[in-house]
Amino acid sequence: MRILVVGDGKIGHTLAEHLAREAHDVVIVDRSDEVLQRSEDTLDVLCVRGNGANAATLVDAGADKADILIAATAGDETNMLCCLIAKRLGTKYTIARIRDPEYNESLTLLQREMGIDVAINPERATALEISRLLRFPFANNIESFAKGRVEMVEFRAQEKDVVVGYPLKDLSRKLHGLPLVLYAAVERDGNVIIPNGDFIIRPGDRVHVAADMLTITSYFRYLGKNSLRVKNVMLLGGGRISYYLAKMIVPMGIHVSMIELNGQKANALSESLPEVNVIHGDGTDQDLLEQEGLTQMDAFVTLCDRDEENLMTGLFAARQGVPKVIVKNNRVAYADLISAMGLDSIVSPKSITCANILRYVRARENVGGTKVERLYRLVNGKAEALEFIPKATDSYIGIPLRNLHIRPGTLVAVIVPFGNDHIEVGDSVVIIACESGISDLNEVIRK
Amino acid sequence: MNRRLVVHLLGAILLIEALAMLPSCLIALVYGDGDVYAFLITILLLAALGLPCWHFARPLEKNLRAREGFLVVALSWVLLSAFGALPFVLSGLIPNYVDALFEAVSGFTTTGATVLTQFDHLPRGVMFWRSFTHWIGGMGVLVLTLALLPQMTGRTSHLVRAESPGPSLSKIVPKMGDTAKILYLIYGVLTLIEFAVLILAGMSPYDAAIHAMGTAGTGGFSNYGQSVGAFNSPLIDGVITFFMVLFGVNFALFYRVLTGGWRDALRSEELRWYLCLYVGSVLFVSLMILPQYGGFFTALRYGSFQIASIMSTTGYATADFNLWPQAVKALIVILMFIGSCAGSTAGGLKVVRIALLCKLGRREVRHTFQPRKVQVVRFEGKGVEEKQLTQVAVFFFVYILLVLVGMFLISLEGKFDIETNFTAALTCVSNVGPGMAHVGPVENFAAYGPFAKLVLSLLMLAGRLELFPILVLFHPAIWRRG
Repeated sequence: MRILVVGDGKIGHTLAEHLAREAHDVVIVDRSDEVLQRSEDTLDVLCVRGNGANAATLVDAGADKADILIAATAGDETNMLCCLIAKRLGTKYTIARIRDPEYNESLTLLQREMGIDVAINPERATALEISRLLRFPFANNIESFAKGRVEMVEFRAQEKDVVVGYPLKDLSRKLHGLPLVLYAAVERDGNVIIPNGDFIIRPGDRVHVAADMLTITSYFRYLGKNSLRVKNVMLLGGGRISYYLAKMIVPMGIHVSMIELNGQKANALSESLPEVNVIHGDGTDQDLLEQEGLTQMDAFVTLCDRDEENLMTGLFAARQGVPKVIVKNNRVAYADLISAMGLDSIVSPKSITCANILRYVRARENVGGTKVERLYRLVNGKAEALEFIPKATDSYIGIPLRNLHIRPGTLVAVIVPFGNDHIEVGDSVVIIACESGISDLNEVIRK
Repeated sequence: MNRRLVVHLLGAILLIEALAMLPSCLIALVYGDGDVYAFLITILLLAALGLPCWHFARPLEKNLRAREGFLVVALSWVLLSAFGALPFVLSGLIPNYVDALFEAVSGFTTTGATVLTQFDHLPRGVMFWRSFTHWIGGMGVLVLTLALLPQMTGRTSHLVRAESPGPSLSKIVPKMGDTAKILYLIYGVLTLIEFAVLILAGMSPYDAAIHAMGTAGTGGFSNYGQSVGAFNSPLIDGVITFFMVLFGVNFALFYRVLTGGWRDALRSEELRWYLCLYVGSVLFVSLMILPQYGGFFTALRYGSFQIASIMSTTGYATADFNLWPQAVKALIVILMFIGSCAGSTAGGLKVVRIALLCKLGRREVRHTFQPRKVQVVRFEGKGVEEKQLTQVAVFFFVYILLVLVGMFLISLEGKFDIETNFTAALTCVSNVGPGMAHVGPVENFAAYGPFAKLVLSLLMLAGRLELFPILVLFHPAIWRRG
């Protein structure tokens, strides 16, 4: 497909990188020669210099023949204008990044009038992800499939965990009453392993298990990890993510403290979020954190602009004994370092946004086939979990899985409803794949 | 430096060269002039060296940085020429290896300067190979590699940037592999059209193939001592003139014409400079040589052919311009510097650089008496970045420097006058072919000694690869680890 990426910033560049790797024809539009030069040197894409909200530039970039336009410039207004013009020029599908909370309130109207097919709000998506982690603090990461009927949860195996040390196929025999979950994937030393029955979990592995929520909860209770319920949360930084997050978790009965350095901003936050305990001060100041009761907190979320600040304060909080620390980090290269230091819950607005957009792109790719319903990236994108809803015309319908050919390197993790040995129309199918770029279930399962 | 990756890619290039020799091998087999073994031995040697390099040095990390990119380009051209010379030696066409190397470099770089002194009863397979090197050298061997090897995606822009002529890389579609395929497709189709037209104009298929490839690559090797003049046919002259001018045009414009933007293509500023320069030069030259030829149309026939041949840096000849008036010879030397459009198969400084240098010079003049005026140099309707202007100015300086140093080095042999040595160095850096005086269109380079031939070979490679990839080889830091 021909895809236009307007705005060669953090998100634009990462998206272009992934899309080019998935063999799409990518054109990047940006105003700065300097950033375009970097993309031209490192990626197999075409670069066009100019203002993406200018019709002439968009024509130059081939908007009339483009399948998808992704507007990811710094300005919401520019992004909307890009979509509007591109749509008029003949681009088939438009995606805009719109982050201002004020625009979000009238989003439906804006989308309809401006020809925006999908509006992505990275901050809101990140807040949603964090709120899920706060609800299930035993998980490092959590992802819902099949409209919440299946959860895939990542946790780090520890020495004392009972599941450590036995082959997976012996677990239910050795451990009475261990709820049955699917061991979907294991990250070990930066690699992704799709485990079979002989696989033995070692301490330090990051294990992804999948099941319905009830089973998952009782599984973690069995492991002795589910003792905590988050009641008090401290948020570092009063940016947009913090705002959205507070809006989401305050109604859940969680008490929120928010630390903001900028006095004016702190005032405004206090005004718009009356239930939140807004503190004006430097969140990297350890005295202040202790004074505001860091040690009594159930969870600490660092949402500053700078990754390094987030990391250091997060480490400090973990050292002070806060049970759940969530760190925002956008640099992929840091992710391994951070988890090596013992901080397991990392959220990256960049990755979340990219995953969301990639999912839409792949869903557009095969309008006739089975669409990707959800896309979730494991280990910095080295593996993917994808959810599909099969169609009646697909060839594998009704045939037991053991009689089907399944592409090597992929695992059919879950079929909902559970316990089916074959796929039926209307089921949800989750697969785990060590490669990127799968857009159709028919690529994976064949008769 | 990622040595494994460099060795791996060089292995691939050797294999591609082995493949490229197959058509010539087939022709040798058909004509039976006894040169088949020269090809078979070379192909086996290439395969024996290329396969292990390619297979056993599979890179652990596929990251092609600028350092490896330029090194691969420079070394692969050196290797291509070194092995491309073998059929000449093995068939006995050019027994001396240095001479054969000069001929091969001249072929791949599309220069067309030859050491051959007689053209009767030559083995036709090797002669075909000699012209075939023009054809693949014209568009570029690495471009061909990219078109053939789909897995070489990612950071390949360094490879193509080093090989494609012109100040900036112009991809025509987002993917480099697709760009390479489209370029070769346009190139191949145009060559076939010329081949067919030449046959219709009265050439034998073999001669037509030789001259079509020579024109397409803007090389200039002919299988006749008098070059195109041997046919003495106005029709053939006209056809070749047209195609020489055509292959001096940026190939991206052909693509634009094909996709319906022909208005857009004609509006190209570089194309207009190129055509104006060509037409102006042809009119001037034709008028100047009118007394020698009598009729205006005869003068136009020889003038337009020769100017097209020099500007496109092909180097075919229908007349000995050594005998033309001094002013015409001076103009020809100037045109040797300029060459054709960026993104074509031609050599020289490129019209776009000359245009930018003129505008830069004019701006500097204005700046001296009106220093506060803000002046942006514009080209193709857009402002040109200062960085690019500096690059063009530096390129120009290094180009002149190379010509002068080359002239000095070959003068050390003490064989010829300065006119010969200067134009020999210039014609090699610009990849034209013939020079003036003793290296004029009816002469050849055989009289130079081995040292001068090696220097000239290096100049040709530097000129073809836009100077810097070859100069990079002489910088000690490129060979350090890191």
